[in-house]
Amino acid sequence: MTDHQAHLPQQEWFVAGASAIGAAHVARGAPCQDAFGLVAPSVAGDPVVVALADGHGAARHFRSEAGAEFAVEAATRVALRHTERLAAMTQPADVQAAALAEVAAEIVQDWFQAVARAVEKDPFSPDELAQMAWGGDSVEIPYGATLLTAVVAGRWLVCLQIGDGDVVVVHPDGSALLPIPVDPSLDGVRTTSLCQPDALESFREFVQDLEIQPVLAVLMVSDGYSNAQSADPWYPAVGADLARLLRHEGPEWVAERLPEWARRCASSEGSGDDTTMVLMVRRGAAPPVGSVSPSQARTVTESR
Amino acid sequence: MSDATTSAVMPGGGIARRPLHCFILADCSGSMKGEKMQALNFAIADMLPHLAAWERDQEQAAVFVRVIAFATEPTWHVAEPTSPASLRWSPLASVERGLTNMAPVFEMVAEALSPGQLERRALRPAVLLVTDGLPTDPPERFDSALETLVSGRAGRAALRLAVAIGRDAKSEALTRFIGDPSVPVLVADNTDEIAERLVVASLAVSRMSEVGADKQAIASQLLQPQVPAAAPLDLDTIV
Repeated sequence: MTDHQAHLPQQEWFVAGASAIGAAHVARGAPCQDAFGLVAPSVAGDPVVVALADGHGAARHFRSEAGAEFAVEAATRVALRHTERLAAMTQPADVQAAALAEVAAEIVQDWFQAVARAVEKDPFSPDELAQMAWGGDSVEIPYGATLLTAVVAGRWLVCLQIGDGDVVVVHPDGSALLPIPVDPSLDGVRTTSLCQPDALESFREFVQDLEIQPVLAVLMVSDGYSNAQSADPWYPAVGADLARLLRHEGPEWVAERLPEWARRCASSEGSGDDTTMVLMVRRGAAPPVGSVSPSQARTVTESR
Repeated sequence: MSDATTSAVMPGGGIARRPLHCFILADCSGSMKGEKMQALNFAIADMLPHLAAWERDQEQAAVFVRVIAFATEPTWHVAEPTSPASLRWSPLASVERGLTNMAPVFEMVAEALSPGQLERRALRPAVLLVTDGLPTDPPERFDSALETLVSGRAGRAALRLAVAIGRDAKSEALTRFIGDPSVPVLVADNTDEIAERLVVASLAVSRMSEVGADKQAIASQLLQPQVPAAAPLDLDTIV
């Protein structure tokens, strides 16, 4: 079974996620190289951390499946370590600075250390070393992966990203935005990566004060999801539909369907690529049924 | 909303395969008159079912074909992106005393690849040039049009292949059009070979457009008589 899912029903914030292997990977006997991690609160007010990583998969990144796992482990471990300090901050600029200079920096450091331990435990074969030497690749290159992380610490929503994939913030009225600016160096084939020597410089961040602007949900997806969406831009309809489903059916209902949605996007009817969806939902943030204007209450679209 | 009705729903506007836009630039200059034009028409008509079969057999792309006929001036022969399975081939005709001006056709493709013209999720476009002659543009005009083609994001990412009809057509200009020394110009030594070369070229350029396809491995297979059905998988890599 290559697909997997998890959802952790807890206080105030509900988190869930699912991954599905891409049809193109199945056809060629390649593994799923996406990974995700969830840290749910035990009680209301506890920090929430989610992370999603996409291993590159190209031949020179022959251990990227492990690299993606290391990335989500590093992100959840480091982010949890910083939540108390982030929650105590009062200015968004301070949170933004700490997110990059401390959290992202330590994630990179943690990931590099995890790679070093993995190489020590499982050294490269002579063939792999020859391949790396031919390309001038460091020991990190075979483990290359992207990373998206979202943290709720007190009043702050903090998102960090390196490489492709998308973070969608869904507001209680169903409006949605991609808060992290597009990196112009991503061209659909090449991506920025944790394995770069200057990885920290490629991190992008977003901070939102939830007391001033509440959110209903945060959806993080790997590029297998966005590349499967026929609408352009795709996120407004996805946000509106998610808000409607969360309002009418509830987070648990949505969480149960994440594996199927990921599987359809990863199929040969969609992108054919590994697909991961990670969802954070703030309980009680959705307006009651009937309070949304007709323009916002659009019909949920059936997928083709 | 009952469970029966919501079990099939999925947020958003539906899913679809990623578009792969394939441009065929067909030489219709005066020298193509007669047997060559007939062979080229046969070749393109023969190529379409192969492309349709490839589309059916792989897991990522929905192929859309467009065709530009060029001589002194280019004209759209198939202007709308059309699935190879549904494209009914209408024969090209050579242009009496028409020149082999490649610069205007490069600019026409550049326009079709300009920002906002392709879907953001589209795979790298494929551009296939078929010609029996050397470009008749002034060299600086050729260079500037090629620069226009490759200066945009989609044009730069586009995978370009060329089929030369006859040894004399295998020019340095075609090599520069391809822009990758590892990718050879395919030569059809006679009209009988045009169909085979076009099938090989169109499948190769489509397979190169797949996410992370190993372009060099496919290019190395180009000169072999049979193209394997699947490209070696070689997914995303770093900037």
